[in-house]
Amino acid sequence: MSVEARRKPLMSRIPPGFVQAVLKGHSALGLAFAAAIYIVCLSGTLAVFVHEFAAWENPKVQRTSQVTPADLQRALERSIEQASGEVHHVRLAIPTADQPFLTLYVDAEEGRTAFVADADGDVAPLKRAWSEFVTRLHIFLHLPSAWGIFIVGMTGVALLSSLISGLCAHPRIFRDAFHLRVGGSERLQEADLHNRIGVWGLPFHLVVSLTGAFLGLTTIIVGVLGMAMFSGDTGRIYALFTPPEPPENSAAAPILDLQPMFERLPDGDMLERITVEHPTEAGAAAIFDLRNEQALAGVRSVGITRSGDIYYKKNIADGSLGERVFGALGPLHFGWFGGGIVKIAYGLLGLGMTYLAVGGVNIWLVRRRDKGRPAPGWERVWAAVVWGQPVGLAAAALCAVLFPGGHYTALIAIWGGVCLAMLAAAAFFSPNSLTLGGKAAAAGLAVAIGLVHAVSLGGARVSGLVWLVDALLIAVGGGVLYYLARQGRRQRRPDPVRE
Amino acid sequence: MSMMAALAAGGGISLRRSWGSRGKGGGVAKAGGWALLLAACTLGSVTLGSIRGVFVAMTLASVAVLAVVAGGMVVREPRRSARNKSLAPEPLERKPSWWRSTLRWLLAGPIGMVAAMAVGIFWSVWAGGAEQTRLVIGGLLVPVTWGAAMAWTLADNRILRATAVLVGVAVLGFGLSILKGFG
Repeated sequence: MSVEARRKPLMSRIPPGFVQAVLKGHSALGLAFAAAIYIVCLSGTLAVFVHEFAAWENPKVQRTSQVTPADLQRALERSIEQASGEVHHVRLAIPTADQPFLTLYVDAEEGRTAFVADADGDVAPLKRAWSEFVTRLHIFLHLPSAWGIFIVGMTGVALLSSLISGLCAHPRIFRDAFHLRVGGSERLQEADLHNRIGVWGLPFHLVVSLTGAFLGLTTIIVGVLGMAMFSGDTGRIYALFTPPEPPENSAAAPILDLQPMFERLPDGDMLERITVEHPTEAGAAAIFDLRNEQALAGVRSVGITRSGDIYYKKNIADGSLGERVFGALGPLHFGWFGGGIVKIAYGLLGLGMTYLAVGGVNIWLVRRRDKGRPAPGWERVWAAVVWGQPVGLAAAALCAVLFPGGHYTALIAIWGGVCLAMLAAAAFFSPNSLTLGGKAAAAGLAVAIGLVHAVSLGGARVSGLVWLVDALLIAVGGGVLYYLARQGRRQRRPDPVRE
Repeated sequence: MSMMAALAAGGGISLRRSWGSRGKGGGVAKAGGWALLLAACTLGSVTLGSIRGVFVAMTLASVAVLAVVAGGMVVREPRRSARNKSLAPEPLERKPSWWRSTLRWLLAGPIGMVAAMAVGIFWSVWAGGAEQTRLVIGGLLVPVTWGAAMAWTLADNRILRATAVLVGVAVLGFGLSILKGFG
């Protein structure tokens, strides 16, 4: 290598032919997965705040910062009384700062029911249509679960691959590290936004796509591993990461009493969750999960039988590297490891990641236009996909507010209907009209959600978080509407693609 | 956390100053910028837990530096010309070929996935250490390898070479894993 070549920055030494070939792959992959990446990233950004949404959906539930063992016992008993059929498991989620009330998930013969408990231990059904809708959209894309989670996992792989090819296809990565030019050439603006967000958010993008791909593909990885190594017995793999079943005794017995078990718990860590196994059988047991706030995967679990014997004890922080990494995947993926500030940062970076998908396709469309080969059909379809999501999500949220206590499947119908209607509208309207209409509809719906929700509170004393969500919806939605109205007064910009 | 964000933002500003000097004595600012970002991670590690703190710091640093980038945004006059000339590299134009396209997407999709599974399982079976560690690292290798295979096969013009490598990796990985078994 010549001295001159050695003086050149590392990235500038990449041959142009290689950059072009990688860019071709980056472009093809991005286009193939654009819609999936966009929906997964947008819903993932919302899923970061799913606990806050649960609190927002149940605004009148009394805030509880601490629960006593007697409260927990009373709530456990009431929830089992209200569940239909034989109860297999009950999971009690202890109040936290982001979800300040006790929730109980009862798995019975008739399916899963969720309850929320007040300070007296009385339980009522938990309203969670919106929270569940968002979570399921992110994890399953509202497809049949086995296919949905695989497609989401594959989308994570495509995102990871795009990050690799994006870096290789970007020889000016350092030279352009702080360039952000907007308003001039549309292609340059989109490329600057795409590249700056991509590069400076890289640690977040890598973490989220890798953990998401792993979590999405877990079922298939474990399935293949079990098939190849354990003659199809995948249970042997899961057993390495999950607590063992307590000694079985299916004879009927009174509801398990949790109160004496608290004396067996170690001091110091914060109780996060209790899982009660077969609470009405003689072989009942409870697993207490305690969290060490300083550790990323800081869960310490203690399993106690009805007779008070400890049958399982595990501190992940002291476990093998694999257990610690596995325990950290969920918190790292959803941003649930550093309190509200990290959640807000995850929300902002998640929006940035969502924009990567949108901007990537925009760059392709502008490039085609600049080369004299516009793709008007795809411009309309992409505008419909991009703006169909906020409108569909906002319509689903409004439905959840108008009919609290409804089932999340109704929200899927609303969301799906809006997305299909937007796609159908792409046959008749220009990209600019679809974009403007989508923005206005999403903003108007956001204001409506905030107002309807605030009015539904009827002057009740609710937490500041609930008011904050309503105020944000009204402020952001109102701001966008105001901006659009001001823009409307100016001369309307002609469509980039004349048809 | 505010201290971490301040350090990271300071690092971003310092790096931006170095970038703005375009090689004219920006070395100190560049070193200072990276040092401040490193200090944010160290502070996180010390105050919030060794690993957790680093992730908190990296998350805040990304937002802080993006804010610095946004702060230096240049607003230009809209350009209405129908065609803009760009200096950015253009993607390679390949001659259309249905069989090459089909094979390319098969390599990026199912064949790449099988090869990645083989790598992950090979690691789980042959690497040393606790069973959980072997499984989790092997599991994480699957999306990483599949993602790399996708990036490579969609870019490489020599598609038969990519086919041979991925098929070879899959056969070798699964074969050697089944030979040893998970013990």
